[in-house]
Amino acid sequence: MACVVLGTDEFIPLAKAQVTARGLPGLPVVTVPHPIGGIPAAAVAAKADAIVDSVLRGLTVDPGTGGQPVGGDAQVLEAPGDIDEFQTWLMERGWGDGLPAIPPTRERVARMLSATRRRPDEVAAILVPRLGRATLEAIAANAVMAGALPEHLPVILAAVEAVAEPVFNLQAIQTTTHPCSPLVIVNGPIARRLGIHAGGNVFGQGARANAVIGRALRLILQNVGGARPGKEDRATHGHPGKYSYCIAENEAASPWDPLSVERGFSREESTVTVCGSEAPHNINDHASTTPEAIVTSVASVAATVGSNNIYLGGEPLIVLGPEHAATAASSGWSKDDFRRAVWEKAVVPLARFAPENIERFATIYPEGFKDRPADAVARVARDWRDIMVVVAGGAGKHSALIPTFGSTRSVTRGISP
Amino acid sequence: MHIVDPASSSAVAARTLAGRPRSLEGVTIALLDNSKPNAGVLLERVGALLAARGHARAVRTWSKPGSSIGASPAVIEEIAAAARVALTASAD
Repeated sequence: MACVVLGTDEFIPLAKAQVTARGLPGLPVVTVPHPIGGIPAAAVAAKADAIVDSVLRGLTVDPGTGGQPVGGDAQVLEAPGDIDEFQTWLMERGWGDGLPAIPPTRERVARMLSATRRRPDEVAAILVPRLGRATLEAIAANAVMAGALPEHLPVILAAVEAVAEPVFNLQAIQTTTHPCSPLVIVNGPIARRLGIHAGGNVFGQGARANAVIGRALRLILQNVGGARPGKEDRATHGHPGKYSYCIAENEAASPWDPLSVERGFSREESTVTVCGSEAPHNINDHASTTPEAIVTSVASVAATVGSNNIYLGGEPLIVLGPEHAATAASSGWSKDDFRRAVWEKAVVPLARFAPENIERFATIYPEGFKDRPADAVARVARDWRDIMVVVAGGAGKHSALIPTFGSTRSVTRGISP
Repeated sequence: MHIVDPASSSAVAARTLAGRPRSLEGVTIALLDNSKPNAGVLLERVGALLAARGHARAVRTWSKPGSSIGASPAVIEEIAAAARVALTASAD
């Protein structure tokens, strides 16, 4: 079957990368001026009229091979020995994140790999959109660049394997315009052993393990997965967590079972959980003294018209500060009591959506938006069990609401020593 | 200084593009809507113009289940069985 792909000019780098990654670099891609969405149908029709000849050619003229797919074996590369020149060299190749990186020399990579018994050429995952082979050696090279130590490698490795699981929908997370990035949540003894911070300023700077683990995952996704900013990574804004986004759950300060135990692990097992997450949205509540009152504040921050979760579902994440968690668990409330109450309260009346959005969402999620009664509401998750709750942070009366990409499920994996 | 390639290799396997018909006369054109706003409007307009100009037999439309979810292999097979040429859209 002869095929032609239509894409707007803003997205051509992604379309080209996709046809190449699928082994079809010669597949015709016809360019339409951006945008197509959010403009009148007559304007779309005019854009269609302008490309018909190109489409017809693409469908009826043999396009040839279009060159060889980009691939080949991993290499050892010659790079400048001067540390300052190395930074420029790395950025020119699209392998940096803008911050200084440690050169992944063979010696440093070998030292990193000493943390695992797995073979350097073993493929831990294939990462989209590039279909990059995340070998242990490549994972270690990026971990070195991020400033990680060998002891951090098992966490990084588990996170890489987690994002590659199909339910995570890495293809979309890597290429979407939505501001999302895998948030790595670490549970269990390894968090304490490695000093993965779970307390005050948990999403902020200052904890080495958090910084380097999150950064290593980002560099792996960019370099092996091939999600280069402005090219295949089409984020409209992105968010600061795309540099590094890793926390530990503050299990000691939680009144409830940690996330890992909810997902079938014991407290003595260490896990990573990855979520395709926006940046944290603050929940300021200095006054509430009951679970019901805390729920009111949390639900209000969660329930917004412009959230992916409101029409795509998914698993919005509540990161309760320890003081809010203590209040939420008072009166004997379980975590399930809390999340059910948030789900029931976190609603947006359909009357608050613009008609164009109701029309769009009705095609994506008819049960929620099509032909609903005037007083119907939209919810932040399809089921109350989809609301994720962890406890992290330090003293203070704040929590965080983290919407997710929506068409993604979080993945929890055990960390092998 | 020698460094280990941080990009690694890719698992891409070269594939051959399908042969092209010399004209659209009598063929069925498939449209695969990527479910982004107005993608269907664009595709259907292009499909209709192509059909008129190339004397195609028919234009049929399929949709991805969502813009961030790929079409299932079963749908791709169905399209391949039903149509000689296909148009699809990427991104918005």
